[in-house]
Amino acid sequence: MGNEEQQGSPMTQSKCDHRGIFTIPGALPIQSAWRDITYEPVRGNVWTASEGIYRTIFLEGKRGTIAFDTFSTPGGARAYQGAIQRVFPQKRIHTIIYSHDHLDHTGYAADLQPDAKIISHELCAKVVAARKSDGQLVPHETCSGERQEFRIDRVRFELIYPGPTHGDGNVAAYFPEHRLLFMVDTVIPGVGYTFFPDWHIRPYVQTMRRFLSLKWDVFVPGHFWLVNRKGFQDNLNYYEVIGETAQRAIRDGIDGEDLDQVTRYARRNLGRQFGHLFRFDEYTGMNLMRYICHFRTGGWGIEGNLKARTDPL
Amino acid sequence: MARGRERRGIFTIEGPLPFLMREPKLQVESVSNRVWTVSDGTYRTLFVEGHGSVVAFDTFGTPGGARAYRKAIARTVPGKPIQTIVYSHDHVDHAGFAADLAPHAEILADEMAARVIALRQADGQLKPTRPLRGKRNPVEIDGVTFELLNPGPTHGTGNLASYFPDRKLLFMSDTILANARYGLLPDYHVANFVRVMHGLLELEFDTFIPGRYEVLNRTQFERGCDYIEALQEATQQAFVQGIPVWILDAITAYVKDRLGPRFGNLDGFDQHVGLSAFRIVHHYLMGGWGLEDTASPGLNLA
Repeated sequence: MGNEEQQGSPMTQSKCDHRGIFTIPGALPIQSAWRDITYEPVRGNVWTASEGIYRTIFLEGKRGTIAFDTFSTPGGARAYQGAIQRVFPQKRIHTIIYSHDHLDHTGYAADLQPDAKIISHELCAKVVAARKSDGQLVPHETCSGERQEFRIDRVRFELIYPGPTHGDGNVAAYFPEHRLLFMVDTVIPGVGYTFFPDWHIRPYVQTMRRFLSLKWDVFVPGHFWLVNRKGFQDNLNYYEVIGETAQRAIRDGIDGEDLDQVTRYARRNLGRQFGHLFRFDEYTGMNLMRYICHFRTGGWGIEGNLKARTDPL
Repeated sequence: MARGRERRGIFTIEGPLPFLMREPKLQVESVSNRVWTVSDGTYRTLFVEGHGSVVAFDTFGTPGGARAYRKAIARTVPGKPIQTIVYSHDHVDHAGFAADLAPHAEILADEMAARVIALRQADGQLKPTRPLRGKRNPVEIDGVTFELLNPGPTHGTGNLASYFPDRKLLFMSDTILANARYGLLPDYHVANFVRVMHGLLELEFDTFIPGRYEVLNRTQFERGCDYIEALQEATQQAFVQGIPVWILDAITAYVKDRLGPRFGNLDGFDQHVGLSAFRIVHHYLMGGWGLEDTASPGLNLA
């Protein structure tokens, strides 16, 4: 599909929504459902928006707005547009920036603002073009290399690709004047999400630590709440410890395919240091299971086997 | 090799890792004239006797496993050295320890598997000496003939099927299993998996040797494809019906109920179906992982 005339106004449910990569026949009403979005100013012209789990940012320009990402469903994208319109009723979204390729963050530009200019990293754009997902529009402009400065509608920021972290072409947005960094699905408050889907484990921690060479004190993640520099460092420390724990679990004869056994081992060995973390009981076993698998199989694909660059950004 | 310093794969922690040294008991069975399959109870592979040497597929996943494999081959085919190793794919748990199996053997692998292995630099995983390009490579080594097929992204990188048409035998690692023990489907490329595996049914084979667990016949292979396909359908339905798919217990209960009547008799179903569903539903939410997992597969950064 893709008939924009059927999409309705941002505030109404569509009769025929974009379907992402779902292949089952019939309506997908959950894709259309409205998501209440909260929003608040962070610093300067940077605002953050969230529906409670997903989080992103949008920027006020002189003549319009710049939206990062699209939320995870067509209904979420329309609600996001509604939120931005409520804050800036006279300013339309003229630019969308994709943080990375995943549909749950950037899958529905067709529902957010189909005529906006879309920018992403070239590695992200290649995946998006090849995926052909219904509702995920292909970027019009790409950046490459590590750092690129943008000046759009009198807003200034950098897009930084530090190396493989999560997904493809995952870029951080850096606002040096506001000492603010935004990056999706990397540092997230609490333990890691489930089994670290599409995380590139070998280079991950060292690559993320490169951001500590920049001057910022607020980090806006792609999920949940904002963190400071210490929260960012603590989160990376968790990954490092779980990597060591995974190796010891294999050494100690833990069956890496038995989630109950792995979870008990994780709680016993990580509980004292990390038991207070958000979602520890829920996901630490799966976190450890994924790392055990990493050390058994080796990293996954090219991205999971590259050595991290460790020089400052 | 000398036992003084065990090869360590990608392990980085200090201290001895005795499990790497342990030599598992391997069971060898003949599957065809001069073709044997060998298993430690979980992992499985095969080897073929040539005129004057042996072609070994994969290495097992530890130095001890590789040494036990070498000894099992020597017992079965005495006096013939392993002169060729074929890597099924890049993963260390299957192809990580050629240095302990036969350090001077010629090593065949898909070119993309070779690229990943070169980047990884795992201790003990030797680089392929003969990288292969393309979808279909006929191979003739020491009187052994077979084809190495790269049917498309399935699991790992450059995962090859080994086809012995005259024996109606197909070997492929970590794809279809005789049971439901897929766990989190690690490094599986969900977007194209079933299509690619169905495509292999165009080949004439009646025995399928997987990289794990029991040998399958053609009917079991088809059922394995059906199982993954059913999981894909059920996980989409779970999301559409409002099941909180990021809660393991919730999606586990849903897929057990939905798939149990048809697939509940597969070994490991109760333990694994929830994890597998959890992985697959994230495919639909996120859109696949990397360029390999798209409608037009390729490899980023290759």
